[in-house]
Amino acid sequence: MIVRIASGIPGLDELIGEERGSLAENTVTLVYGPPKVGKSIFCYQFAYEGFRSDEPCLYISADYGLNELERSISNFGWKFDEYRENFYIIDAISTISGLEVESRDNYFPSSVHNPTDIMVKLGMAIRQIASKSHRFRSVLDSLTTLMAFNDELLIVRVLTVYIMRIKESGGTAIVTYTEGSADSKVENMLKAIVDNIIHLDGEKLTIEAMVGSGKITASYNITSNGMIVE
Amino acid sequence: MKSYDVIGFEDLLGDVTPGDLILIYGPPKVGKSIFCYQFLYSGLKGSEPCLYIAADYGSRQLEQRMMEFNWFLQPHIQNGEVYIIDLLTRLAGIKVEDSASVKFSSAQNLADLMVKVGVGTRELFRKSSKFRAVLDSLTIIFAFNPPNLVLRLMKAYKTRVSEANGIGLVVHTTGTVEPQFESSLMELVDLKIFFDGENIQVESSTGKRSAKYTITSEGIKYWGLEG
Repeated sequence: MIVRIASGIPGLDELIGEERGSLAENTVTLVYGPPKVGKSIFCYQFAYEGFRSDEPCLYISADYGLNELERSISNFGWKFDEYRENFYIIDAISTISGLEVESRDNYFPSSVHNPTDIMVKLGMAIRQIASKSHRFRSVLDSLTTLMAFNDELLIVRVLTVYIMRIKESGGTAIVTYTEGSADSKVENMLKAIVDNIIHLDGEKLTIEAMVGSGKITASYNITSNGMIVE
Repeated sequence: MKSYDVIGFEDLLGDVTPGDLILIYGPPKVGKSIFCYQFLYSGLKGSEPCLYIAADYGSRQLEQRMMEFNWFLQPHIQNGEVYIIDLLTRLAGIKVEDSASVKFSSAQNLADLMVKVGVGTRELFRKSSKFRAVLDSLTIIFAFNPPNLVLRLMKAYKTRVSEANGIGLVVHTTGTVEPQFESSLMELVDLKIFFDGENIQVESSTGKRSAKYTITSEGIKYWGLEG
């Protein structure tokens, strides 16, 4: 039997047709598509859904620093503040843009230039999370930025390690990637090593692959309350 | 050597003889790994032991994924009918110890992998005159090694499996390496099976065959075999 968890996207879980959720627990889902179609918003909602049921989230942010991330999230009216103790962030961008970020628990500054350090921080964060919860969510947003700063194949190797560590610790993850930004061989590898694939094009959401399910397409909108699948 | 029935896939793999290497290829997410689990499990059910190289997931995930189809691997691991070489768990920095049937190697150490393949094939050869060998897949191995080195690994692997009289299955995701390496891979194998999400196409020296397929909760079901 496949255990599924709620995606946090209204309408998406119903597409798979199971009561409790759509994303197979302990799997990794690739969310990809052209720029500005809602990939990051998808991630916020996925993380927030977890917080509401007291699941920690380990968020690797390569596109937005902590402050910007919190601002984008609060624009949708979601109160991440209440869930700070469950919100673990590896911030890979603030340091390289020279931003000052106030240090606090659950916050791990790193750098997109240094994937090895990101993996070290990942290990530290997972240890902390595992000590209080045997299930958690994780987001890696985005692979595109990591690939822009590093050799693309190196990032495939980093992703391989990331996926192994998340799965071995009981996590369920979303990773994002901007379609066409890497070599097509690398893009094929990404699709091969994740479990599930969701494509967003601005109007339609396509579940291209999902453990235990077939291909499904539906329309979606981004509203002031976030992404909604119709 | 005469062909024999590959239990579970008699009609589809009719041309296979012991010592053959079969390439399973196609785009991502069309069921190539599920085919491997099924090949492994049907072999175990027919008392053919199996060497399984888990290169895209860890050995624990292999067990979990098979359980989704109600194929339980644990008893076969315990009685030594399956010999798993796990290339990712230790690579990811997770502390694990080898057991009698599960060995940990690394996707970036192909020399060590070949040593373990040697030990594994010898052990299974002693147990049974027929055995299966699965390598799922080359994708992450290609991400960690130069393509030429991976091809040399495949030549050595083919020799090993063939000398021990096993039937080998190797999985490759199309479009993950330069076309010339893909062609060399095709030339190296005895039988090619292409999955595209709807059709299975089998190509051997004696001809081509194709069937429709679908993935169910009991694994891959195919029908309408032609050719």
